[in-house]
Amino acid sequence: MNGKNQKYTEAPVKVLLAKPAIDGHDRGIFVLAKAFRDAGMDVIYAGLLPTPEEVVDTAINEDVDVIALSLLNGAHMTAFRNVMEILRKKGVNDIAVVGGGIIPDEDKPALEKMGITGNFGPGTPLNVIIDHVRARAGEIRKLRANEY
Amino acid sequence: MDNFWDMKAKEIMQSFSEDKNYEKWKKDVLDPWNKKTGYTDKPRENSSSMLIKDLYMAGDLPVDAESRIGNPGEYPFTRGIYPNMYRGRNWTMRMFSGFGTPDDTNKRLKYLIENGETGLSIAFDMPTLYGYDCDSKRAEGEVGKCGVNVSSLHDMERIFDGIDLAKVSTSMTINAPAAILTAMYFVLAEKNGTPLDKISGTVQADILKEYIAQKEWMYPPEAHLRLIRDMLTYSTEHVPKWNYISVSGYHIREAGSSAVQELAFTLADGFYYIEMGINAGLNVDDFAPRTSFFFNSSINFFEEIAKFRAARRIWATVLKEKYHAKNPKSMALKFHTQTSGYTLTWQQPLNNIVRTTIEAMAAVLGGTQSLHTNSYDEAWALPTDDAVKVALRTQQIIAEETGITDVIDPLGGSYYLERLTCEMEIEAYKYFSEIEKMGGILNAVKAGYLQKEIADTSYKKQLRIEREDDIIVGVNKYVDKDEKPINTLKITDVAENGQIRSLEGIKKKRDESKVSRSLENLHKAMEDDSINLMPYIMECVRNYCTLEEISNVGREIFGEWKEPKIY
Amino acid sequence: MNTEILVQGILRGDYRAIARSISLIENSGYKVRKDIISRIYRYGSAKIIGITGPPGVGKSTAIANLAPSLAVHGKVAVLAIDPASPFSGGAILGNRIRMQAALSSKGIYMRSTSNRLYNGGLSEYTWDIIKVLEAAGNDYIILETVGSGQADIDIMNIADVTCVFLAPGLGDEIQAIKSGIMEIGDIFVINKIDREGSYLAIKDIRESLNMSNKLETPVIGVNSLTGENYDELVKNILEIKNKNPREKYYRKLKMVVMEAIYDEYSDYVDGIEYGDNSLDEDPYTLAEEILGKNSNNLRKIKSRQQEY
Repeated sequence: MNGKNQKYTEAPVKVLLAKPAIDGHDRGIFVLAKAFRDAGMDVIYAGLLPTPEEVVDTAINEDVDVIALSLLNGAHMTAFRNVMEILRKKGVNDIAVVGGGIIPDEDKPALEKMGITGNFGPGTPLNVIIDHVRARAGEIRKLRANEY
Repeated sequence: MDNFWDMKAKEIMQSFSEDKNYEKWKKDVLDPWNKKTGYTDKPRENSSSMLIKDLYMAGDLPVDAESRIGNPGEYPFTRGIYPNMYRGRNWTMRMFSGFGTPDDTNKRLKYLIENGETGLSIAFDMPTLYGYDCDSKRAEGEVGKCGVNVSSLHDMERIFDGIDLAKVSTSMTINAPAAILTAMYFVLAEKNGTPLDKISGTVQADILKEYIAQKEWMYPPEAHLRLIRDMLTYSTEHVPKWNYISVSGYHIREAGSSAVQELAFTLADGFYYIEMGINAGLNVDDFAPRTSFFFNSSINFFEEIAKFRAARRIWATVLKEKYHAKNPKSMALKFHTQTSGYTLTWQQPLNNIVRTTIEAMAAVLGGTQSLHTNSYDEAWALPTDDAVKVALRTQQIIAEETGITDVIDPLGGSYYLERLTCEMEIEAYKYFSEIEKMGGILNAVKAGYLQKEIADTSYKKQLRIEREDDIIVGVNKYVDKDEKPINTLKITDVAENGQIRSLEGIKKKRDESKVSRSLENLHKAMEDDSINLMPYIMECVRNYCTLEEISNVGREIFGEWKEPKIY
Repeated sequence: MNTEILVQGILRGDYRAIARSISLIENSGYKVRKDIISRIYRYGSAKIIGITGPPGVGKSTAIANLAPSLAVHGKVAVLAIDPASPFSGGAILGNRIRMQAALSSKGIYMRSTSNRLYNGGLSEYTWDIIKVLEAAGNDYIILETVGSGQADIDIMNIADVTCVFLAPGLGDEIQAIKSGIMEIGDIFVINKIDREGSYLAIKDIRESLNMSNKLETPVIGVNSLTGENYDELVKNILEIKNKNPREKYYRKLKMVVMEAIYDEYSDYVDGIEYGDNSLDEDPYTLAEEILGKNSNNLRKIKSRQQEY
């Protein structure tokens, strides 16, 4: 009977992992998928080469708390921005977006300004990423409690 | 019932004997010593999860060591494929390069040629690798970033402007659209008046490892394999110095596999291509000698060397016994090596020079034919000129200062290394058997079996790092509090805009009726599996059909590929 | 929470309202669920198409073909269930990989859910989620079971049409699988008919159906890569009549009643802790004591169940 009388704010975090460009480096995304699962989260992985539109569609359909974007191909500024713009166009402001990959320090302020947090580089311990995603999901759940 | 692979594995296992000497030494010398000093040992394992003993002795060698190991330049080539190895000639120091526009890359190539380099190695950007033009919506932000952009024959003409294709050998790292890029190179030679039998080079074209590891594909596997078959038969007939495939384990390793998985999956791919040639009606000795390999050299020194030696021995054995090759050149596995990108750390980047040095030494002691050494700043970005120079100098120091090249296969006969080589072989044979039981490599790949094996290994490795069972200096031990940023190469969007304008110009100038006719002809030919597509693709290329236009013909017929779900 | 706004959203077919309702149903407990379901359960009626079969037969790819074909006949939604990890309770929901492009381009709503360790191939709240999707105006709901290789039996209680997917080359496994699924299939589909052995697989299934006296059951070969024969599959799905809703509801009712009882007594049940003095009693006596505290309610529920 575990999990029967949960509160929405305490239920498992739901996170979408996505690489929103043509980038086949998926070693990290699978490590993260398993690490998030092993931390008790529900993880959506929709495969390689999604368009930014597909990423946003998925996030809405699946009602995820967090979109975790990752790119290792240097296109993060363009591709991450595209995702944020589509979210804004669709009026979605209750999904957190976190980033990671090979992101130079000088790009981080611009990403933060777009609303993308974390922006973790290579070698970041898994628990740091997990804690960050949990914290962002927690904010989102609180925000959502008053939506309907 | 045992298959061929099970029998080979058993054969090696049966060549091991019980080691009484070790037991005696352990009882009389080691255990009392450990007891006296209060030392407690912990189990050690390598990337392939093999338990490593504390000491190897003569008894660890196979009983038939002499014939099993053999001599340099002789079957089964454990000690190297040439009799004199680096006494004769050093390995080729082949540095992979390519960035920005074709003109940027042309300048770099000419500079290399002026400095005596004849082996060119071209890196393409992501849109090119996936068969998209620079003006595609999907290419946004990626043009020229990870390599040079090629959207039409015009770009190829610019890359090789002023370069005599008869005098250079060109290696192109391209897979999904390999047939198109190859066709561009052939047409370029034609236009320059260089006969096809005078040009030489290698195209990677190893599509199986794309599904397994690098994930740069366009169509389902069968469609790409058909294109590879067509390249294979076309070049066997018309372009005798063209190596139509470089079977690559590099990306399998980078995707997170162990050394044994890299070894097994790469060779399994290689066997598939050999069978494809045989099934296409070719004699194995007519095309097998043109198969070459591309391996990773990672940080566990002896494991890597054993991997290279095991690869040669397995290839020789299988080509001879299973595919009945007669020509020793078909049995000799030649390979290019690149040091591991995965082991490079973002933290304390100068430490990467040391890692690359050790990995490069493993490649050399493993008998590589050519080597690319990574630059220390590559966990941050594409390398700067200064960083590339250090990487090249690393190879030159190994070749000319250390004396490592003075002796052919200097580590041959090492108890540990020879034993490890045998054990790598056994584990690889077990994988071949497993793959065969799944209905062959193609089915195994389509079911996601290899992909899952790799992802599982990579997750296990990550957990070992997190638990500090595996140490990475500067990352989970000896960590610096303040990392100082280093100078890195910046690539702007200038290349992207320039390429888009250039492509617009080409589209205005070309003859549209020829474009649509050659694409239609290709469409018809593609629908008939018995037709060799190379002449049709070359015709499209000649008429300046773009990379994406040609790729789209296949997308219409074969559809686009989506990877299997592995979790 | 303002359920009314949410419900209006569902009825309009607004994806965000639908998506949120499903999250709330999965995560917020009995009362919230009741609040939503009691407002929408009279709305909508869809044909529920169950897709089941062992791993590796290409269920996701099949749905990528099936969903757009059904979309010609009405509004379609997809619900896919993945297993949770028994160690952490978390789950990797990867069913979208091979459906994403096909569904996105047609604007078909798709949701992945974890079974949260619930046995039987579905999740505990599959019925409730389906009610939401029906209320949202869907005419067809494709429901993919966990497909863990064991029998996903629950699907037959919820689906109007259960399609069992099999593929040639499953070898000996097929015998084991068959023993669990011959009974639940309304249509048998052999995927990957381009592969060797597909003719034998079809023949094998026909023979087994013959032995179970289900000779009329269609056995259809399809190729998900080319879309071959999907017309035939769709035709067969459309021909099978929907079940009487009562047949589907009485099982759910039993579950909900059990849950209602649990909800009613959860203070007592959850209050039982190790170290509790009451644990000095034997469990049976203790249980009767707890129930005795509210026995009137219990009797009421019992009598209602008998009326149905």
